[in-house]
Amino acid sequence: MILSLLLSTFLTIFIAELGDKTQLATLTMSGTSNKPLAVFLGSSTALVFASLVGALAGGSISNFVPEIILKSIASITFFILGIRIFINSFTPNEIDNND
Amino acid sequence: MNINLDKDEKKVETRFSSIFITTFTTIFIAELGDKTQIATLMLSAESGKPIIVFIGSSIALISSSLVGVLIGKWLSNKISPNKFAFFTGLLMIIISIFLAYDIIKTFI
Repeated sequence: MILSLLLSTFLTIFIAELGDKTQLATLTMSGTSNKPLAVFLGSSTALVFASLVGALAGGSISNFVPEIILKSIASITFFILGIRIFINSFTPNEIDNND
Repeated sequence: MNINLDKDEKKVETRFSSIFITTFTTIFIAELGDKTQIATLMLSAESGKPIIVFIGSSIALISSSLVGVLIGKWLSNKISPNKFAFFTGLLMIIISIFLAYDIIKTFI
């Protein structure tokens, strides 16, 4: 019973998350930085924390903060990050060859 | 010039924490009110076992972020860093436009 609930939760969330914007953001940041471990730890803790809020608060944050505001913040964050990475792609990259 | 040499040693440390913080904030903000969080909430309410649902969804989210990191690392080795930054930067801008469209749609 517990195991099947665990498994069904895992499958639901895992499939829903594949190709999701958060996974694409993780992909971007892991590819553009040379610290994949930092990206992995950062995104894992953020996701677990968000899921903790979802599971234990008995309500998602969107009950307290309107969804429009949450989406606006996400949209602006993605835009700033995207522009920054996009502009960086035109500057010659300084790869640390010294180590 | 000398400053650069001094900074080099610090760079590795500060970079790790700054990448960690940037990733954490971005992903956390993007995940709030996202469909997976809503799914977690619904599964938790439906089953009445929030802890099991929390464990299951945490494992799923950690695995999916691992998949994302590995694909990102693999792709960045395949193509040049500039090309990778170009396409992923463009992708993030497109995602932000879609999110903005979602917001505007509610007003129309």
